[in-house]
Amino acid sequence: MTTNASDLRRLAALIRLNATRMVAIQGFGYLGQALSSAETLAVLFGGGFVRVGRDRFVLSPGHYVIGFYAVAAEVGLLNEDELASYGKDGALLEAIGTERTPLVDLVCGSLGQGLSGAIGFALASHLAGEDRDTYAFLSDGEMEEGQVWEAAMFASHHRHTLGRIVVVIDANNSQVDGSVTSVTTIEPLADKWRSFGWRVAEVDGHDVDALSEAFASGSADAEPFVVIARTEILGQMQSIPPTIDGHFIKLDRALEHAVTTELEAALA
Amino acid sequence: MREPPYKTALKPYGEALLALARRRPEVLCLGADLTRQTETDIFRDALPERFINAGMAEANMIGIAGGLARAGHVVFVNTFGVFCTRRCYDQIAMAVAYPNLNVKIVGFMPGLSSPGGPSHQAIEDVALMRALPNMTVIDPADALEITQAVTAVADHQGPVYLRLKRGEIPLIFDYDHRLELVKAQVIAGGEHYDVCIVGAGMMIPAVLAAARTLEDNGIAATVINAPVIKPLDKPTIVTAARKSRIVITAENHTIIGGLGSAVAEAIAEAGVAAPLRRIGIEDVFAESGSREFLFSRYGLGTQNIIDAAWRGLTINRPVPVAPVLETAPGAYAPV
Repeated sequence: MTTNASDLRRLAALIRLNATRMVAIQGFGYLGQALSSAETLAVLFGGGFVRVGRDRFVLSPGHYVIGFYAVAAEVGLLNEDELASYGKDGALLEAIGTERTPLVDLVCGSLGQGLSGAIGFALASHLAGEDRDTYAFLSDGEMEEGQVWEAAMFASHHRHTLGRIVVVIDANNSQVDGSVTSVTTIEPLADKWRSFGWRVAEVDGHDVDALSEAFASGSADAEPFVVIARTEILGQMQSIPPTIDGHFIKLDRALEHAVTTELEAALA
Repeated sequence: MREPPYKTALKPYGEALLALARRRPEVLCLGADLTRQTETDIFRDALPERFINAGMAEANMIGIAGGLARAGHVVFVNTFGVFCTRRCYDQIAMAVAYPNLNVKIVGFMPGLSSPGGPSHQAIEDVALMRALPNMTVIDPADALEITQAVTAVADHQGPVYLRLKRGEIPLIFDYDHRLELVKAQVIAGGEHYDVCIVGAGMMIPAVLAAARTLEDNGIAATVINAPVIKPLDKPTIVTAARKSRIVITAENHTIIGGLGSAVAEAIAEAGVAAPLRRIGIEDVFAESGSREFLFSRYGLGTQNIIDAAWRGLTINRPVPVAPVLETAPGAYAPV
């Protein structure tokens, strides 16, 4: 655990490097999700905000599970050797999270469902009188699913009977058919959540200091809290052409080499 | 077994759920703006801290139920059958059935028991729920079975879909009747049968009445009560079917995917030669109307079962006519 910004930036680079190596096994996969969310995952798990073994962690978009594996290996939750099996037939580390996925309390593959499950956990924490927070990781694309807003309304209405709940949205403006903005207008996202009764922090999701400050501002009072992390699907990587489809990246040997070289240089 | 017209009980489910919750602190009750209609007002009033109204948001409610169940609760989710099956199927599949959680989905107003038309008539709920791995599906016939089902599903590890009639619930079985999640029961008939009738839920009174009329006209009829449609008690059904010249299923549900389909699969795979006739809604959406009107119009009456047996057995006598019972207010008789 560290609150040191350079350590967290280094952890983010390691997450990207792990994910790149995992995607390289098949030559394609959900690399963009790890690239965009690397700082968020670094701060949540490396910065000590998610108290592993006590707090519950919900990963709503199961496609991001690669990023979770990548950080889990760095913070000692997962054996680093396991990463090499990612996405292979019969492997425990599947490309989209399932009930077999280790370590997370809930991972969904069908989008828009994670916040509801997280609210179930938060209700259970309150009923049991436990000091046990619920972190729910969502993506911006799944804001198109109505269930997210059913859940947002519920959490705010029932805020006095919920344990502490923190949502983080990786707003990378990417979905299968292209940019979220080209498919559906979900903005103004912060105003929407605010109007649904949530306290909102909107930050540069590649800025570990801003993320740390936002998560630290989460109080224990009855108020659901959402952090909108504005990110880029390619994670500000210079070595990846900006025209590439970030939702599902085809990683040939040349690109893998370029990405790996850039990340190793950052870590040197 | 009692005699028709049957006495009725009010809110056997609501009373049983509250009694269960008083015994078991892990039991929670979720609803979707249909509290009185799902008999859970008595739970809400007695144990308000364990009652959660999710509002008209069934998808979210199912997801929350999954989270609560993961944390160790036994969660009863209550709304109308249409809304807790059709409307949130992916949520049930992913948040409840796949992780095999202790979420008990209770859907009211099965089949054509609702006057509310197709939007409120759960005619394919059994088919949908039966198709999901891990899901147990129960269609109880009377107040005693409902009361017993509440405890049985709470004791069962895993998800359950329980479809329940609203309002006045008939008392059909004697107090020694036992609902078991693995058993169907022969409730009428002998060792040598002309016809074997397999029914469940609201069709049991009609099945019993049809069997009696057939017996009165020289046809040996055996009746199997199969409240647990999944997992179906195949041995009991196959054993009876083997001894029968014809098998008839009766369900307050579309004939596609429900009890009739489950029985068809069981007897076909067992190599039973007897032909099968399925009494149920014949692959149509219905309309608004009273139970009596709808059951008669859509082929769910006692006479429909008698007709199916008569035609199936190719008997060259006039078809006997089902007796019409005088029913006092508050009593229940089959259509």
